Amino acid sequence: MAQEKLYLKGDKLLDISNYEFKSIKNALRIGREKTIKKVKDSGLKGRGGAGFPTGIKWEMAAEVEGKEKYVVCNADEGEPGTFKDRYLLEERPLKVLEGIMLAAYAVGADKAYIYIRGEYSKSIEIFSEIIETAREKKILDANLFDSDFKLELKLIRGAGAYVCGDETSLINSIEGKRGRSRIKPPYPIEKGLFKQPTVVNNVESLCCAAEVLNPDSEEFSELGIKGSKGTKLLCLSGDLNKPGLYEVEFAQITLAEIIYDLGGGIKGNEDLRFVIPGGISTAVIKAEDLDFPYSYQAFEKRGSSLGSGAVIAVSKKHDLIDLMLNVSRFYMDETCGTCFPCREGNRQINKILNAFKEEDRKIETELISDIGNTIRLAARCGLGQSSLNFITSVIENYGKELKFGGKIYA
Amino acid sequence: MLRAEIDGLNIELEEKISILDAAKKANINIPTLCYEDGLSIYGGCRLCVVEVEGEDLLKPACATEIEEGMKIKTHSKKVRDLRKNLFELIIATHNIDCQLNCLTCSRASNCELKDIAEDIGLSKMRLDPIKRGDSVDNSSYAVIREPEKCISCNRCIRKCEEVQGIGIFTTANRGPETVVTTFKDRGMGNVECTNCGQCILSCPTGALHELYQKESVLDILNDETKHVVVQTAPAVRVAISEPFSNQAGDISTGQLVTALKRLGFDAVFDTNFAADLTIMEEGTELIDRINNDGKLPLFTSCSPGWIKFIEHFYPEYLDNLSSAKSPQQMFGAVAKSYYAKEAGIDSDKIVVVSIMPCTAKKFEAKREEMAGDVDYVLTTRELASIIKSAGIDFLNLEESEYDELLGVSSGAADIFGTTGGVMEAALRTATELITGEELGKIEFEAVRGLEGIKKAEVEIGGLKLRAAVANGLGNARKVMEMIKDGEEFDFIEFMACPGGCMGGGGQPISSDKNVLEKRQQAIYKIDKSKKMRKSHENPYIKKLYDNYLEKPGSEIAHKLLHTKYKARKI
Repeated sequence: MAQEKLYLKGDKLLDISNYEFKSIKNALRIGREKTIKKVKDSGLKGRGGAGFPTGIKWEMAAEVEGKEKYVVCNADEGEPGTFKDRYLLEERPLKVLEGIMLAAYAVGADKAYIYIRGEYSKSIEIFSEIIETAREKKILDANLFDSDFKLELKLIRGAGAYVCGDETSLINSIEGKRGRSRIKPPYPIEKGLFKQPTVVNNVESLCCAAEVLNPDSEEFSELGIKGSKGTKLLCLSGDLNKPGLYEVEFAQITLAEIIYDLGGGIKGNEDLRFVIPGGISTAVIKAEDLDFPYSYQAFEKRGSSLGSGAVIAVSKKHDLIDLMLNVSRFYMDETCGTCFPCREGNRQINKILNAFKEEDRKIETELISDIGNTIRLAARCGLGQSSLNFITSVIENYGKELKFGGKIYA
Repeated sequence: MLRAEIDGLNIELEEKISILDAAKKANINIPTLCYEDGLSIYGGCRLCVVEVEGEDLLKPACATEIEEGMKIKTHSKKVRDLRKNLFELIIATHNIDCQLNCLTCSRASNCELKDIAEDIGLSKMRLDPIKRGDSVDNSSYAVIREPEKCISCNRCIRKCEEVQGIGIFTTANRGPETVVTTFKDRGMGNVECTNCGQCILSCPTGALHELYQKESVLDILNDETKHVVVQTAPAVRVAISEPFSNQAGDISTGQLVTALKRLGFDAVFDTNFAADLTIMEEGTELIDRINNDGKLPLFTSCSPGWIKFIEHFYPEYLDNLSSAKSPQQMFGAVAKSYYAKEAGIDSDKIVVVSIMPCTAKKFEAKREEMAGDVDYVLTTRELASIIKSAGIDFLNLEESEYDELLGVSSGAADIFGTTGGVMEAALRTATELITGEELGKIEFEAVRGLEGIKKAEVEIGGLKLRAAVANGLGNARKVMEMIKDGEEFDFIEFMACPGGCMGGGGQPISSDKNVLEKRQQAIYKIDKSKKMRKSHENPYIKKLYDNYLEKPGSEIAHKLLHTKYKARKI
């Protein structure tokens, strides 16, 4: 039976008086450079979905000159099926706070923001209180533990746009601008928030960084395999007997074990059709192909991604057209409307799927394929580029089975 | 030195530039839609995407800087196929259908989208047009918006914000509901729009165009009971041939007059005449303000876009504006009084039509302070369209002269059509009137050219006149801020449009990058070719004062030729 490995997950961490801040103390002791080196050596990759190495991001940001530097914690958890950041914000907010402090200290920022998804009322309430108490306890806004490091932290409540999970859109939103991605380069590390060097890290990434620096869990950095280090929070949902939040060590568990052991298998007497491994912007993995270790590279090899860690099990009882329509509707509504391929492409895909009729089973797969390619190759940001991953993978894998008329997606 | 490869060609560059600019240098055309020279990079349409070796995703050429060693393919199969697919998506949102079709579009003869379709070799359209059901915004006296045609390329937004410094447009909503609109969807007539029409010049879809008065003018020309006179602004004669010849910078004053006569106007006059008159009134006002400690600096008041701008944004400076009406309005007032009397026509029967390079003139004609001076305003584009529809072979027309009385003008009036021209015309007259001596060199080079803001100190007799010239409202704002910061001037010329009237929002939409230079050179050439180059030398202006207006600034001159302004809200 596959086991969880608990580092990020655990007892509630809400009482600041009893929290020791061991990681940041450790960092203050060893200094900025060694802190960054530790994170770099740990092989930690961003947990928001894109998987950029956190240590390298910090190192680059530390080297850039700027009038001011910012750290932004991206807590705009919007990927459908994902709820790990909410867990961390509500149950382990001190860990999140410590992660933000670590990043700020490492890159030399004295101002930080946490941008929390607007719908997360409870998270916002809890984290606001944490910030307030931290100020009172001189953890924020004061020289921390008599060091020369002092951090101001502001909480921003998102206004409900999925695109603001994209770091440049999130930055626009903090600045009070329309939530839309910026053209890169310049990357936020060079010119981000208020045109200053800015590090944007996901909530879970920051908590992982806190684990890396935590003297009590030195083995954390040794977990996993090269390219996939540490642990990963999984948000199991869909047709599972035991949905919920789990923490696993990379490469020590297979996707099949995740579904059948941790998730307790498929509800009722249904058969699994496929797994959406990392939120709805990732390509599906067929039920018969689950027997591989959970790691970044294993998913990449299969043309998919572990994304945000939202593992959604989908049984055969669902209508595939319904599922595709659901996902398509989401992207159509959530594209920011700036770039033409994403805005118009997702609108047209939705129109095509809506026109599907059970009687003739005709669906213009060639057109979907052309539009899908156009969006993926030419969209302005990650939202657009990955918006058709689910739909095209369903057509690729099940087009024949569904007996779609017209040319099958190739 | 930076080396890269584009479509197999080795290129060397002195500095980092965009792939788009680098390709241009190598004589490679990459299609663009949301890109426009002089505006910030938007990166929305993605038509300019290219393949960069080693990268899976395509890169927008407008927004990607070329790097050392980059190998770029601008027209590979991958790129070409993608552009076609993408263009299908774009066209579907442009809503071409039976009601909203190409034949009635304001851009029928110079459609950017059609050009792009040709450039990318579009061969099929698999998608139905999307009907959003947006209603037409006809809240403005000057500019109409048909949102159904809008593809949200953002060019109008950027033009208004970045060049004109105003920003009446914004993007609203998200997803498929994303639209370009005005604040709270109030409509262009109910926001701080100056009616300059620069957005029309930027719109690739025909979603923006002037409020048409073509049909009304054709109707009135058929009305036997009316005496219809027409005036033509200085900048029209150097642009009206463009829709016929597709080339910029030709002077076709004589053909313009012939065409108007053929269309049936009862008298063809010239706004230039009124420009000379403006110099007499405004020049007198300037001298008076200088001599009698009046409010300085004096601001010119010819440009109605500028007038609405200052009324909205700098109402505390309204007293600095010359009280002189613009030439268009002076002409109307004179036509319906002096001309009516001289020609023995009942002024009620006289209809005044203006041909203007300007959309704001349509608004100006409707201002309550001057209502009735001018009845209809057509843009240069509208006139070209009427000429075409009347079957007139414009380019081959014989030349005719303007009708006398209100049709003779000096070279000083001609240069009103360009930035710096009103200033130069005023300086010519003011210098001679103050010093009593004839000018040696007649050109004031310091106020010539296309620079956004020009400053000059001019010696007139013993007086040092501190002059400034601003064109484009973004520059107007800069000059206003200089004044607020304490910089001192005596006389400032403001024109709302980049380049002045010749770059007006009612001018033909040109694909020639140097169109403004060419039109400006043509204007200077007309001035130079004239024997009479100073407003106060115009014998018909002298006659007007002798027979009717007495002298510049007289009571009757004030009644007919001067106006008031009002503060407007933001």
